[in-house]
Amino acid sequence: MHKMLAVQIILILLFSGSLGGMLLYTGVYDDVKSKIVSVLCLGCLKLNPKTHLSFTFETANGEPYPNFVLRNLSKGPVFIHYRDDVCSACDAMEPIVKEIFGVNYSIEQCFFKTVNFNGTNVTFIHINLDHSDKNKVDSFKIYDRNHVNGVPMFVVVTLGYDRTFVKPCYSTGYAFLEKNTPQAAKKVLLSMIEDGIELYKQNREGFT
Amino acid sequence: MKIRIKRLISQLLFLLSANLGALKVKTGFCYPFFYCHSCPYADAGCPLGTVEHGVYRGNIQWKFIFYPILLIASIGMIFGRAVCGWACPIGLLQRATAKVARKLKRKYPVIGRIGQLRVERYLRYTKYFVLLGLVIGTTAALGFMFTDICPIGFLTGTIPTLFFDSNGFVPSPFFYVALVIFILFIILIFTVERGWCRYFCPLGALFALFNKVSLLYVSVDQDKCIHCNACTNVCPMGIDVPNMNRSPECILCGKCIEVCPTNAISFKVK
Repeated sequence: MHKMLAVQIILILLFSGSLGGMLLYTGVYDDVKSKIVSVLCLGCLKLNPKTHLSFTFETANGEPYPNFVLRNLSKGPVFIHYRDDVCSACDAMEPIVKEIFGVNYSIEQCFFKTVNFNGTNVTFIHINLDHSDKNKVDSFKIYDRNHVNGVPMFVVVTLGYDRTFVKPCYSTGYAFLEKNTPQAAKKVLLSMIEDGIELYKQNREGFT
Repeated sequence: MKIRIKRLISQLLFLLSANLGALKVKTGFCYPFFYCHSCPYADAGCPLGTVEHGVYRGNIQWKFIFYPILLIASIGMIFGRAVCGWACPIGLLQRATAKVARKLKRKYPVIGRIGQLRVERYLRYTKYFVLLGLVIGTTAALGFMFTDICPIGFLTGTIPTLFFDSNGFVPSPFFYVALVIFILFIILIFTVERGWCRYFCPLGALFALFNKVSLLYVSVDQDKCIHCNACTNVCPMGIDVPNMNRSPECILCGKCIEVCPTNAISFKVK
């Protein structure tokens, strides 16, 4: 009887002590909060956010366009692919994105490359929210047009004419871009990029 | 106050505490029960979803595995599977559907026979396969997660999200599979009392491991027991209560304690 009680108390102390230690001495609390609780899990929802294929000037959170995007915008449109480590839709879309741009990288990598896309320079940027610096991670909210906070998110930043000035504008797509398969989503993604290129060509002369 | 009233208050308070996201409260804790972090008002993470983060595609992140398991182990060592009976919102839902399940069982004997089938006791092992196979195995090996088809995620995440923002989303490829599973889940809980807890709940499977060693348990005094079977008849988990001896299936709901005419059954600590 006493032996059983001793074992029970030892196990309770072991488990609760380890849990307390994890909470105190590791970043697990913050990681769960930022990577699981605060991010909308599209896999859990079994839903994909609607995609805005139209281009808009206003950022989603009112913050200015990040410098790493503006710097590359002088070369051509910028395509950004946001993902995180644990995301089945991201895994499904990754080969499609790599195929479209002819690039290769590891999923953790923050990857930049200017590629020639049908004769136009397009800067491809891959951002894994679990492994990128704060500046890149913060840019996610700038383009999260539906305030979905979910990945994968695809952004095409290009130039548009806003009544009197040529300014950066963007379009945002999520997950399978309202399609049922990654292959079907590829067509939408291609059309998004082509629209971005067309807009860029129309407006680049006026961009300073 | 009767146990059933205390339990109802407890379940409602836990349901409320799971939805503090409505007050903009977001924490880094995991729920010790089944609730989806994609619920618009969720304030903590699903423990199973967190474990899936830890094993996804074999990319092991120990902190995401140990954190929810240590939380469940700490609670399980003290209270056993009482979380299923006293805290889990899905338990509360099944409590609400129990009356219908019992009525159907009386009206259609074929439904009643489900619980008496020889294979029934083996069916109860399904939840361990769900835990090891779908939550851990396929997530680690294939990247196919239980959360992709989880009926609880559908109930507490998908439906409220569509309710609040029906125009903002479109179904993903897993939506219709999950919908079918959700419909089966609803049929199950309306036909078998606590059917989800008995057969499929992977979190219940995890808690069940601690029933044998938990401090709190339901004890039957064999000297006082008159073998009237009132406890067994009322048990929502379909346990043979007088002979249960710390059954992994017991959710410590206390229904047997209330109904025992000789006070032979009680909660005990040790």
